[in-house]
Amino acid sequence: MDYGPMDVDEVGPRVVIRESFPDRADFVLENVDLAFANSLRRTMLAEVPTMAIDLVEVDENTSVLADEFIAHRLGLIPLNSKQIEDVLYTRDCDCDQYCENCSVTLTMHAKCTGDEIMKVYARDLVVAEPRPNEWVGNPVITDEAGLGSVICKLRKGQEVRMKCVAKKGIAKEHAKWAPTSAIGFEYDPNNKLRHLDYWYEIDPIAEWPVDEKNASWESEGGVQQSGEPFDYNAVPSRFFFDLESIGNLEPDAVVQQGIKVMQQKLAAVLQELAGDENRNGDAGGDGFGGQEPDGMQGGEYGVDQGYTTPYVNPGATSQWGGGATPYGATPYGQSGWNQ
Amino acid sequence: MASNTQPPAKRVRKPAQPKKAIAHDERPVQKQPTAQKPAQGDGFDALLQPFYSGKSLTDPIDTAKDKWNLLPAFLKVKGLVKQHIDSYNFFIDVDLKRIIKANQTILSDIDPRFYIKYTDIRVGWPTRSDEDQADMARHQWKSTVTPNECRLRDTSYSAPILVDVAYWRGVREVRRKGMVIGRIPVMLRSSRCILSNKTDEEMASLGECPLDPGGYFVVNGTEKVILVQEQISKNRVIVEKGTKHGIVQASVICSTHERKSKTYVIMRGDRIYLKHNFLNEDLPIVLVLKALGIHSDHEILLLVAGHDSAYQDTFQINFEECAKLGITTQHEALEYIGVRIQMKSKPTYHDYRRKYVQEAMEALSNVIINHVPVRGLNFRPKALYVAHMARRTIMAYHDSSLVDDRDYYGNKRLELAGQLLSLLFEDLFKKYNHDIKAAVDKVLKKPARTEEFDCLRYLNLQSNHITAGIQRSVATGNWDLRRFKMKRAGVTHVLSRLSFISALGMMTRISSQFEKTRKISGPRALQPSQFGMLCPSDTPEGEACGLVKNLALMTHITTDDEAAPVKKLVFVLGAQDLCTVNGKDIYVNGAYIIFINGTPCALTHQPRQFINSFRRLRRSGRISEFVSISFNGHHNSVHIATDEGRICRPLIIVEKGRSKVTARFLQALRKGKIGFDDFLSRGLVEYLDVNEEDDSNIAMYESNISQNTTHLEIEPFTVLGAVAGLIPYPHHNQSPRNTYQCAMGKQAIGAISSNQYTRIDSILYLMVYPQKPLVKTRAIELIKYDKLPAGQNAIVAVMSYSGYDIEDALVLNKASIDRGFGRCQVFRKYNTILRKWPNGLEERVGDPLRDPNGDVIKKHALLDEHGLASVGESVQSGEVYIMKQTPINPTASNGIGSDWGVGEYKDTPMTYRLPDPSYIDKVMVSCMESEHKIIKVLTRQTRRPEVGDKFSSRHGQKGVVGLIAEQVDMPFTDEGLVPDIIMNPHGFPSRMTVGKMLELVSGKAGVMAGDLQYGTAFGGSKVEDMGDILIKHGFSYGGKDFVTSGITGESLPAYVFFGPIYYQKLKHMVMDKMHSRARGPRATLTRQPMEGRSRDGGLRLGEMERDCLIAYGASQLLLERLMLSSDAHVVDICGTCGMMGYSGYCQTCKKSEGMTKMTIPYAAKLLIQELLSMNVVARVGLEDEFPVGEGV
Repeated sequence: MDYGPMDVDEVGPRVVIRESFPDRADFVLENVDLAFANSLRRTMLAEVPTMAIDLVEVDENTSVLADEFIAHRLGLIPLNSKQIEDVLYTRDCDCDQYCENCSVTLTMHAKCTGDEIMKVYARDLVVAEPRPNEWVGNPVITDEAGLGSVICKLRKGQEVRMKCVAKKGIAKEHAKWAPTSAIGFEYDPNNKLRHLDYWYEIDPIAEWPVDEKNASWESEGGVQQSGEPFDYNAVPSRFFFDLESIGNLEPDAVVQQGIKVMQQKLAAVLQELAGDENRNGDAGGDGFGGQEPDGMQGGEYGVDQGYTTPYVNPGATSQWGGGATPYGATPYGQSGWNQ
Repeated sequence: MASNTQPPAKRVRKPAQPKKAIAHDERPVQKQPTAQKPAQGDGFDALLQPFYSGKSLTDPIDTAKDKWNLLPAFLKVKGLVKQHIDSYNFFIDVDLKRIIKANQTILSDIDPRFYIKYTDIRVGWPTRSDEDQADMARHQWKSTVTPNECRLRDTSYSAPILVDVAYWRGVREVRRKGMVIGRIPVMLRSSRCILSNKTDEEMASLGECPLDPGGYFVVNGTEKVILVQEQISKNRVIVEKGTKHGIVQASVICSTHERKSKTYVIMRGDRIYLKHNFLNEDLPIVLVLKALGIHSDHEILLLVAGHDSAYQDTFQINFEECAKLGITTQHEALEYIGVRIQMKSKPTYHDYRRKYVQEAMEALSNVIINHVPVRGLNFRPKALYVAHMARRTIMAYHDSSLVDDRDYYGNKRLELAGQLLSLLFEDLFKKYNHDIKAAVDKVLKKPARTEEFDCLRYLNLQSNHITAGIQRSVATGNWDLRRFKMKRAGVTHVLSRLSFISALGMMTRISSQFEKTRKISGPRALQPSQFGMLCPSDTPEGEACGLVKNLALMTHITTDDEAAPVKKLVFVLGAQDLCTVNGKDIYVNGAYIIFINGTPCALTHQPRQFINSFRRLRRSGRISEFVSISFNGHHNSVHIATDEGRICRPLIIVEKGRSKVTARFLQALRKGKIGFDDFLSRGLVEYLDVNEEDDSNIAMYESNISQNTTHLEIEPFTVLGAVAGLIPYPHHNQSPRNTYQCAMGKQAIGAISSNQYTRIDSILYLMVYPQKPLVKTRAIELIKYDKLPAGQNAIVAVMSYSGYDIEDALVLNKASIDRGFGRCQVFRKYNTILRKWPNGLEERVGDPLRDPNGDVIKKHALLDEHGLASVGESVQSGEVYIMKQTPINPTASNGIGSDWGVGEYKDTPMTYRLPDPSYIDKVMVSCMESEHKIIKVLTRQTRRPEVGDKFSSRHGQKGVVGLIAEQVDMPFTDEGLVPDIIMNPHGFPSRMTVGKMLELVSGKAGVMAGDLQYGTAFGGSKVEDMGDILIKHGFSYGGKDFVTSGITGESLPAYVFFGPIYYQKLKHMVMDKMHSRARGPRATLTRQPMEGRSRDGGLRLGEMERDCLIAYGASQLLLERLMLSSDAHVVDICGTCGMMGYSGYCQTCKKSEGMTKMTIPYAAKLLIQELLSMNVVARVGLEDEFPVGEGV
């Protein structure tokens, strides 16, 4: 699983995937600056679109839990979001409320007839056809028994009958659309850059355990190289990512989608800056254009259209959280980007 | 919350080591099959569980650590709410019978043959008020009424009081059994409640929460608690010294069933007098003693002063006064007293005046110090009592340190529900008997009757008085008993159901009878004698501080024990009867007086031996375990107390330097073979009241035991009460912080009870996802807070972030909120009663109105075909949820002469008023006791935290949400862990809540180890162990973490204190408080804007704000705020007379010349007119601001 360093230009970004599991990816991103790495992290956390139940029509609810209580629980159930590009945002769809192009309908109907308490699980959600593709909207079930998460419990005679509409969205709007549970992020395990000021009682090296995996990766073999002169000009360039997916998207898809979303956002910035001229990214005239993270290239995004990374000015991404973009105004749904 | 706080799997910096058992004081709970206990099913099985946890039955017992196992065993039989229930049971089973015995017969003044005699009394099982007792007995059925039904239907959970009577009818005696004389509210979980001895399953089927403590009443649908009342003890001598004039006085409040009075022996200057309200003037003490049958002056001297020459010298002068009056014999003394007795103006119609001597005898035996009975004209006990009071006065005169401390807890008695109900019932019962007598006399007075006189119907007729009387008192909390000179308000309170803890806290609350306005600190201060009895932390702040207290975990309040057998036993143990002792011998060296309930009774010369043998008898179970005996070296006396309301607690007995509770007994306890009562009966544990505790040498820990130790504490953390028991590591906190938490724990939103969704309370706050605390305490397990928690374990980063966290504000993670952190439900009840009038008219629920098209109008959109809102609908402001209709003229007699027909109704709909919408959760239609229909509509809101909502940790650290930050902007650890809450570190230095830091460290260690840690007071998981766990899992031992900024991606230059802390959401939410108004309703009288959010009122520019504006000189702003924006009013003022006219015409001058229009506040106009109505003229003088001729 250890992919060696790719044979790419030294200046360009470099990705090394150290470990990969169905729900986890551990990789090292090199030759990018801190702002870029953090932007990627932020985008993956909050702006990768996924599916989640957003609208619940309650036909019958005689359980002890209130309607909105169950609705909230339903919303938090991870739904498979593979090839989410096939799904439109409801706001971009030309239907009235929702349709099969922009949503997946799941129905839940459970009634307890026995004397025992009955549990309703995510597996009891029935996905309606047609839907944008064959995966989207399936509840993520990872446990061995194949049950999925518990939605509610029913006593004899109690019944829940609900129609749930899953829509596409991003975690910035609501955490239920989050594709990841956490993203580990580190760039200087040995504190060579002195970004961190150790607090210690006697000996910082003894008192502060380092992350051996990352530390040894960085300094090939030895964990700590004491006595090394402090390079005050050094900037972080190697980032250790550890991404854990919730299950709705595969970890590599999360990363690729993250990059794509970031590209789109930057392109939108560029477009705004360029005004009516509608220039391409590399028209900015600097040397950064056209750098693709080859190691990550899935072959289907970005390149096929001949777009180059609108990676213009590294400093431009460090603006506060990208929060200036209101949810509705993101140019995600622009035609030409989603094919 | 939830998923984002879970670190990604297998991400430890060091390879995980196999888990080793951690050596710390309290073992964490592990899922192991726990010990088999005999199925008890009283809800305490689970309670007994935790102490087996992590240990198998074969584990070695360490007595020093495991003796706390006695605590759950104690709580099973006594403690917390049990005292209310015990007290109520005592009242039902014992006191009622005593009251009946004391008022057994009703005789008639007219017919000497007539009598009614009560032979027995008992309280039946709770019934509905319309269920017939006789019918139930005949057909052998039981009422199915449950407390929850009463709560929902707004009825009272009460049971009939049944008496057996024998009465005279015609020529013979008639006996009747099971007569109902009234109904009495039943205390939940008392012996008369259907919930007593029920298993959890049975409780559930009755719609009741198994964790509910009980101990309260349901009256008219509201839950009422009779608070424990603290008082100075009755029938005890209290010696006080006045601040000036050298006044020393001994006073005693005497209370018997017949009478309550206060007697003083007062030393004014150098003379001693007896003072009593019944006497017109104070009596010289020698004279009183003479009247009480002590003839010899020498005897008097000996009885008062003993052999002490200093005392004798002080007392000497008192003889002089008596001698001056020329009184030498008892007869003369009585004569003297008789003259000075306050005569009741009421002359008896026998018109017979007793002689003064008889009057005095009567007063001395029955009124003065009336709790000491005089039998067969033997005044000796009373004389000894008075002499003792005089002696105490002289002693205090000589040595100021011998005065009594009123605040000392041994001198206090706690009155419980049973006692208060007993007083109330006695009063009402006497009145009931009096009324029957009056009614019977009235009938018997008539010479001829058509039928045989049967008084039975009079017994039935009056029964409503008792029912209504008790119910009124319990419902209002006004105990107004003239017979006992008692007028108290606020005895009962509505049980607060804000959270489980607030309900439980209310049951342990003690309110004292002191005025809250008095500025003295004595009664408010923490008394050393409260140790172990009352919680040192749990008291409100502000005016009731220190006056409202709470019981500690292990306290018990005694009920009354019979004194007579104890007295007999005293003599059996070799003490001499004091009445037989000569005055010479009472105060000799080495003689000790034995007092029983404050009354001198016997004399012993071996007090220690006497006390020891007495205690031995008590430990062997020959005397009630609640009888206390203590030695008082200052007064050379031994005190035995059997009375009710003493506060006491159990302690382990230590003999010869060894604790009597050994591993063997704890093993047996653990196996469930013996219970707490066995520990008592085997003399391993005993109850000590405050006085006896003072006489004991109690070791805190087993290691402190020395040869002189008499007792050993069961567990130190029991000094705290139930509410303070929630705080982890309270012994590391600054003490006011614990007090603050005690106040805030009661406002925390969480689970209330397991029947919370079936309840319809006027307001109910529930948390959507409550969690049990990661760091718990033993007390939490014992009171089962972990079953009904109120809070969530939040991952907290202690760091500064953004500036929206100043002044204790918190920064919340938006993603956490999305996932359910701090989410709560608010239920609100709206109810209405459909009234019925005697003429058959009644209110009704009408159909929704329709517009001409036949569609239901918008306001009535929620209503179904019944005219009630449908369940599940969202209700907005202005919408109708009950389409109630009222007859236009309900009192109209059928049609004749009335303007409206009987069948006409007007709409009186119930409209939703709140600005925020709700859902209709439940609609209940039922019928009350009064046959009126009742409709209750429960609405529900689900709220997520917003900026301004209040949160608090368990350490008195409250804060409002200042910012809700995006998850991506939050700082994160290298594992990607994001905090739920960011707390500003400035909260720590001045508050010194070290307990909070320890909670974080322990909580973090617990999370990493996968178990729960303990923060029990004076114990708990040790920080060293916690640090070891953290290091083992690759963390810093101090709980600090390396953190990266989410905004820049750069690592923060410092480590951040990071880990789980239990946070409570408090009930104060901005949604309920947010308010603003531009224009809106005004008060009718003053035309000023209304006050308060509920009336859409204005925001007041108060006096202090006004002062600021004046000082600044903003006169135009003032004018605008105070008049133009408020109640500006244009009046016409007459320039001639200065009075107000109208339409440019002066009514006074009868002309329209010189009228000026002027704007003044309406309130000012009102004032002028009101003054005018009182014949005070207020004229408005007008002056031209720009007089003519002064240039332009």
